[in-house]
Amino acid sequence: MSGASGMFKAIESGTKHLIIRRFTLRYPEQKLKFVGDGYQFDPKMGVGIAGYKGRHILYHDKCTGCQLCAIACEGIAEAIGMVKIDKTWKHNKKSIMPQIDYGKCVFCGLCVDACPFYALFMTDDYELAAYTKEHLIYTPDQLSIKPKYQGNVEIKIDDQGATHG
Amino acid sequence: MGLPPSMQVEESEEGRILTISVGPQHPGSGHFRLVVKVDGDIIVGADPDPGYVHRGEEKMCEYRNYIQNIPHLERPMIADSCGILYPFCLGVEDIANIPVPERAKYIRVILAELNRCIFELYWLGIYGIFLGHSTMFMWPMGDRELLIDLAEAATGARVTHAYFVPGGVRNDLPENFKERAIRQLDYFKHRLDQYKDIFYNNPLFLDRTKGVGVLSAQDAINLGVTGPVLRASGVKHDIRKIEPYDVYDQLDFEAYSMNSGDSYARAYIPLLEMYESINIIKQCLEKMPSGSVRTKLGPNPRGAAGESFKRVEAGRGELAYYLVSDGTPKPYRVKLSVPSFRQIPAMPHLLKGAKLADMPAIYWSLNYWPVEADR
Amino acid sequence: MATVQEFSFAEFVKSILWLTFWILVIFTLIILPIIFIVLFYVPAPEIAGIEMNPYLLLTMLVNPEIGAPLINLTLDQPLFRVMVFPGFTFAALFATAIIFVERKFLAKMQVRVGPYYAGREVFWWARSLEGLLQMLADLLKLLGKEVILPSGADKPIFWAAPVVLVIASSALIAVIPAGPGWVIADIDVGLLVVFAILGFFPLTALLASWASNSKYPFIGGLRALHQMIAYEIPLILSVLGVVILSGQLNLSKIVAAQEPYWYILLLPIGAFVFFITALAELERVPFDLPEAESEIVAGWLTEYSGMSYGLIQLASYIKLYALAGLFVTLFLGGWMGPLPLAFLGPNAPSGVDMFGVELLTTQEAVGILWFVVKTFGISVLMLLPRGINPRIRIDILLRTGWAKLIALSFINIFIALALLYLGVAGPAGPVGVISP
Repeated sequence: MSGASGMFKAIESGTKHLIIRRFTLRYPEQKLKFVGDGYQFDPKMGVGIAGYKGRHILYHDKCTGCQLCAIACEGIAEAIGMVKIDKTWKHNKKSIMPQIDYGKCVFCGLCVDACPFYALFMTDDYELAAYTKEHLIYTPDQLSIKPKYQGNVEIKIDDQGATHG
Repeated sequence: MGLPPSMQVEESEEGRILTISVGPQHPGSGHFRLVVKVDGDIIVGADPDPGYVHRGEEKMCEYRNYIQNIPHLERPMIADSCGILYPFCLGVEDIANIPVPERAKYIRVILAELNRCIFELYWLGIYGIFLGHSTMFMWPMGDRELLIDLAEAATGARVTHAYFVPGGVRNDLPENFKERAIRQLDYFKHRLDQYKDIFYNNPLFLDRTKGVGVLSAQDAINLGVTGPVLRASGVKHDIRKIEPYDVYDQLDFEAYSMNSGDSYARAYIPLLEMYESINIIKQCLEKMPSGSVRTKLGPNPRGAAGESFKRVEAGRGELAYYLVSDGTPKPYRVKLSVPSFRQIPAMPHLLKGAKLADMPAIYWSLNYWPVEADR
Repeated sequence: MATVQEFSFAEFVKSILWLTFWILVIFTLIILPIIFIVLFYVPAPEIAGIEMNPYLLLTMLVNPEIGAPLINLTLDQPLFRVMVFPGFTFAALFATAIIFVERKFLAKMQVRVGPYYAGREVFWWARSLEGLLQMLADLLKLLGKEVILPSGADKPIFWAAPVVLVIASSALIAVIPAGPGWVIADIDVGLLVVFAILGFFPLTALLASWASNSKYPFIGGLRALHQMIAYEIPLILSVLGVVILSGQLNLSKIVAAQEPYWYILLLPIGAFVFFITALAELERVPFDLPEAESEIVAGWLTEYSGMSYGLIQLASYIKLYALAGLFVTLFLGGWMGPLPLAFLGPNAPSGVDMFGVELLTTQEAVGILWFVVKTFGISVLMLLPRGINPRIRIDILLRTGWAKLIALSFINIFIALALLYLGVAGPAGPVGVISP
């Protein structure tokens, strides 16, 4: 009975898997490490630098308020709006900077591609949950804080299977 | 009463026929409704009812310029996001005469093949759970993690890549991508070998799919199905071989086809295609030249007025874009021709006369993705 | 703006005072009188000529000289046997343990972690338990969910069907001996009682599906009916070999008759057929068509939610324990261990003692242990196909049940008759060849 031998092989395959390592990532005890330092864009070369597309980081000493990020996002998710800030910078005469609404942002990174002044990059931080929708709108001050994301595992493959470790 | 011909039944049989709506809220259908008429256990008529996820993607494209369309157009088929953007980028490059660097072409092929595997694994997982095989759901979903990890290293996002742009790709691969990719792909190949014992050679799976939903070659051509469904019926038709795009003409791979045309063949061909994808990715990693990966463009690329038609072999079949431009940065008309919508006519044809228990086996083996079909 | 209310200390203090007031009032006026009435005035069974009430019982339990014989007396009560061991509580706990083991076992086979986080932060040592409190969490969740009654459903039957299922499953465990002398009902036709109760289940499945007034339960109920009725016949026929060899229908005596050789060594085909048909009766993968998720949502239990669904799952897993226990009793020697008792050595304890009173003899304790271990092993074996096989289709199921399994059981009966006439085994023990 060929059916019986097929069934035996299936049972053997299933029970063989009882001894290989379990693959699940036990978040929040284990968090993934990412390559690089977040997605960045080099407007001189016109090409991006590989990294994870998480929360944005805004460098206040470089942003000139040119609104190109907001214009780029208008056709995608309309998540960037320009707001007035208190400080006046020499390179930012209009005193406006982007604020990003993470309830609408799709994390595509085209705003980073649009910025010609190296002011808007993305970071590794993806833990942005909040209790109200208003808390998801990040002001320029909140965007300038560097996040403290600690990834501690990556995929490891050995002869006992793959696991996150 | 206006019922489609597949749904009309004879008057004398009316009392015995039960109409079931395998509707949008059903664990066996996705966002798609299939109205089946059942006589005991035999299906006598089936009427597919798509349209639950229609969002007007094609119309919305006309309000966005070519770069802003990138994250928009990857959404209909988010599990294969590079595949659905590929013909769009090829079309815009055709209209606006944008040259693509060699390295970018190789990277595009790598990502397209990775996305094909990611989609095929998802599809295989859902096929397993449709037949009640929970292990065959968990294993592909877990192994998908190996490939999504690679895609995330390359593009920065796990599923919503938004990586292909007209002119190349958005960023270069990170430094240790090649070693990491080869290590994870070798393990992935070892995992694919495990699927054969527990799933493809399992006598219960063979009972449920061999000889079920047989589509002959002539019927397949007449109904207009594409992709693995067509190749499972014996028609050797793969766009990567017929109209090679990017660097597929320089790579050495095989497009498989089987002759039986039943659900087993339609389920087996994606496995063979995944082996070939691993092969293709390794070849690309070897042959890739160095250089730039993106042609520098302004923020609003535009081309002369004209049209272009480009097609690509995505995971589900032939995906084509018909782009019409009128000289402005926003396209005048974008028409997506998706493989999922083209498989719909095969559903009533195959379901008629099948048993009710074969309905998930046939329906999902046609590689149907509801979100993509409705755009 | 924000929908979260601001914290006000005055409101907080006011709510605490209100709560304390009402707790004191209810406690003094209602709970204390109830406690006093129950403690002093509820009659308890007579012991040593003194009429007992719960207060006296509790004080006596503290005193070990009187408490231990009391416990010994309780263990012999039929109510204890029905409620605790080997009765409903044991079956329910076993079923819960099996559900947890199933989830973890399947998860390990599927290269993933099963329940992991439940209970992880409760105690410092709970970190290694990996989700052991998940069953409690599920129970609390099911208790808190609303039981939705579909419109047009037949109300009495809809509410009664899960309860009848639990009753029928629990009735199955009444005849299974869990140890020497530890059986609830020592009936001389015990095996027939089992099959009579097993005949209940197609009926309840059909009634549950019919009462739901919906198409998916309708299809699922008919499939359940076909499947269970088709597989009852090979089930009964496969057991016929055991009856021939032991000459008994009383389950305790069948266990005792397996003393030289367990019947799985003599009748392996019968054991195999019994195992497969038990899987079909339990509606486990690969025979879970009545609950086929991708075709008919959840089959005949689609419309059940909340605790009704919980009761159906409980019934299903108690039936798993019952059929696994039946398999162990019929083919694996019940509570008999493979090692004789003398193996424990001359210094073995003479029994389970408590303050000098013997609660269980050594033979009983070892027997119960072996029974639990074997039943657990067979239950785990019954969980294995879920990780390996897809679902079978109804026509293949019926073809296999009516043709192949009945043929195999007939072969089994012929083997049993041959063994009987060759004198290898039989009701009278191994004698020589019986002359015709």
